Amino acid sequence: MITSFLADQALLEDIVRILFVFVLITAAFILSTRNIASLLTVYAVQSFLLTLIAASLYLIEGSEKLLAMAALTLVSKVLLIPLFINVIGEKIKISRDLEFNYLEPTASLLVSMGLIMLSYVFLSGFFDEYVLGKLFFVGAVIGLSLTLMGMLVIFSRKKVMTKVIGYLTMENGVLLFGIFVADLPFVIEILIVIDLMILVLLTTILAIGLDSTKNEYHKRLQTLKIWSGREE
Amino acid sequence: MSLLEALVYGAIIALIFGTILPLLYRSKNTRKASFSLSFFSSILLLAFAGTVLYTGKEPTFPAFGFLPGLNFTMAADRLSAGFILLIAAVVPGVSIYSIEYVEYAKSEARKDIQTVLTNLFILAMLMVVLAGNMVGFLIFWEIMSLSSLMLVLHDYSSEENKKAGIFYFIMTSLSTAFLFMGFISLFRLTGSAEFGHLDYAASILTLPFLCLFIGFGIKAGLVPFHKWLPYAHPAAPSSVSALMSGVMLKVAIYGFLRFLLSVSAPEIWWGVLILIGGSLSAILGVIYAFRESDIKKLLAYSSIENVGIIFTGIGLYLIFKLEGLEGLAMLSLVGASFHAFNHALFKSLLFLCAGSIVHATGTRSIEALGGLIKRMPRTAALFLIGSVSIAGLPPANGFVSELMLFQAYFYSSALQDPLLKVLLIITLSVFALTSALVAALFVKLFGITFLALPRTKCAKEAIEVPQPMLSGEAIPAALCILSGLFSNRILALFGFDFGIPDMLVIGLLLVGVCGFVWLGVRNTGFSKTPRRSKETWGCGILAQHPTMEYSSIGFSEPLIAIFKKIYRPEISSTRTYSDTKECIFKDGTTKIHFPKFFEKYLYLPVAHTVNVISFQVSRMQNGKLGTYVFYVFIAVLTLMTFTRYFA
Repeated sequence: MITSFLADQALLEDIVRILFVFVLITAAFILSTRNIASLLTVYAVQSFLLTLIAASLYLIEGSEKLLAMAALTLVSKVLLIPLFINVIGEKIKISRDLEFNYLEPTASLLVSMGLIMLSYVFLSGFFDEYVLGKLFFVGAVIGLSLTLMGMLVIFSRKKVMTKVIGYLTMENGVLLFGIFVADLPFVIEILIVIDLMILVLLTTILAIGLDSTKNEYHKRLQTLKIWSGREE
Repeated sequence: MSLLEALVYGAIIALIFGTILPLLYRSKNTRKASFSLSFFSSILLLAFAGTVLYTGKEPTFPAFGFLPGLNFTMAADRLSAGFILLIAAVVPGVSIYSIEYVEYAKSEARKDIQTVLTNLFILAMLMVVLAGNMVGFLIFWEIMSLSSLMLVLHDYSSEENKKAGIFYFIMTSLSTAFLFMGFISLFRLTGSAEFGHLDYAASILTLPFLCLFIGFGIKAGLVPFHKWLPYAHPAAPSSVSALMSGVMLKVAIYGFLRFLLSVSAPEIWWGVLILIGGSLSAILGVIYAFRESDIKKLLAYSSIENVGIIFTGIGLYLIFKLEGLEGLAMLSLVGASFHAFNHALFKSLLFLCAGSIVHATGTRSIEALGGLIKRMPRTAALFLIGSVSIAGLPPANGFVSELMLFQAYFYSSALQDPLLKVLLIITLSVFALTSALVAALFVKLFGITFLALPRTKCAKEAIEVPQPMLSGEAIPAALCILSGLFSNRILALFGFDFGIPDMLVIGLLLVGVCGFVWLGVRNTGFSKTPRRSKETWGCGILAQHPTMEYSSIGFSEPLIAIFKKIYRPEISSTRTYSDTKECIFKDGTTKIHFPKFFEKYLYLPVAHTVNVISFQVSRMQNGKLGTYVFYVFIAVLTLMTFTRYFA
């Protein structure tokens, strides 16, 4: 029964479409949630959804690469990176990101709806009309809008931690777009993941400086003898 | 590798060594060796350029690729050989002069830097002329600009020099920007960075032409882009001024000619534009020069005037060529090029002499000089040769090139178009006026500086400069005379025969006339009658006093009155009276101020606009990451919309 279930292409495609909706919901969460711990959870869930999408696509298309990609995403984005960020979060003791630049959560949700429409209109210019309902096209639209929404997160949220999650969301969008449209070599996928790891590591170092209060920052710099300027 | 190529490589290597040596071993002897190397390289270049001009043989050089799609090639044809000859004629004098002159710099480090940069500057100018494509041209053009900028700023402690440096920097960057635009639009057109024939309609080439005209015009000092010259020249060391005025301006002219001669079908308005620009520069240059009392500023303005004359020749060339008068076109072109060569010689001579004067007296203001002919007789004689040449008196070289242009003008009655005829008559009269004013200008400069009594203590105590500097000045001076006397032989040697009068005959005639006059005066028996030594028209004055002499501004006064519309002098006076009804005059002062027309109405408004715009732009840069990502976001959205609907 399971095999027949797995062989039913139409059903699988419907499942992927449902997963797309879930991905969008996670993106909306990332745009509006103030609690950093839940942001992180949502990111992990989003990555897990991507894993599921890649796995379902493997079942539809049968390409080994997709399976490998699913595994890679599972290991790096669902497990390792959230773990890292969690460690940082505990170290710097900042659990909330309350302030917003330019856009309040409601407004950014409205803007992101506009972004999805813009992505659809933009991409429809490159393809013939009959593909507009096809799975890969919808995937590309979702991927592109996810990238743009990640960018929205980067500039509308204040704390570095949130910005990093915005960046990671962008990368998820690129991954989604890559799965459906551009056929990226697997090596590049691996390299992107390694880049992400390094980014998170660097953030660890920088965030400790930036996301602390000003006095603490000065104190830390002075104990490290990096800078001994006058006190303001 | 043939001999020709070996000569070029030898010269380049010598200059590279000259640039590097003073950095490795810092001593006076190294500096000497460095300048000797540049002297040596110019001898090699002289042989090279002479051979190419004489035989018309074009050497080939291998290309150096340094980036995919970009390679640097060298090439030399008769045009570049002509300008290499010019470099090779100026550099020997400057090198020998600099051996002594560089030692007057304030510190050891500055001496070394000046030596290094001078060699680099010469090398860069040479490579610009040798460049076979746009890539090399622009790279060495920038090196040339930057090394000369450093030299202008060599005495960076003075506020005035800093201002000059910044002014020069902005103008030269502007020039490079325009050149880039011009070259890029040419590149888009041809798809190749090589200099080659441009077989396109003139309407397509309008943009490159205008960009290159402005770009090269700024560097050459064409009015209204000339303002950097009178600032940069006084700030730079005199040997560098000699190179900048003598060679660098000509390199710009070379670049412009290189473009213009490769266009197969120019349009008549190009020629008219160049001719008008040239005439305007010529006349305004000399008129502004009259106002100056600073010897180096005056010479700088005179360079603007000469560049104007050269551009006039180029404009005439285009007009005659398009009207089918090939012979006259060639005459104008060779006249312009020959004038460029001559100007390089006498202007470098004059700048070197000015350097000697400034060194000996410590001032650049000629109002403070006077009577230097007794204290610095050799410098005075050399300066006189330069003045005679630049004033266009026979038998010196300035006469010949100006004569060629005059001849081209005179024969222009063969033109059909009446409007062009009128234009040429107007510009001819401007040119004639310019020539006359230049003669008056140098009468003033020589007279105020060298004749009569010293006006100040510094002029009274001046002593002649050392021999190396004099020898350095003597080389261009000798070349001025020789290239004048043998002008038609030199031109015939290079294959140009325009029926110019044989200057050697005229020179001998002049010498003969002078000899006869001298003999005649001597034989009247002057020496035999007893002499009475008295002040002529003494009128009871006990002794001559410097305050009775013409001052520089006094000499210019009649001209200032004539050209009042151009100078727009602002006269302000204050008076005090002895009585309350203001009848009995007690005391007063009057000030004549010359407004800086172009600065006030062109440069400052432009600078102000740029300032306002950059302030608005700088507000966008607030140092916040979020804002920058926001910009990127907006840019991405705009691009997406644009590509969807418009592309």
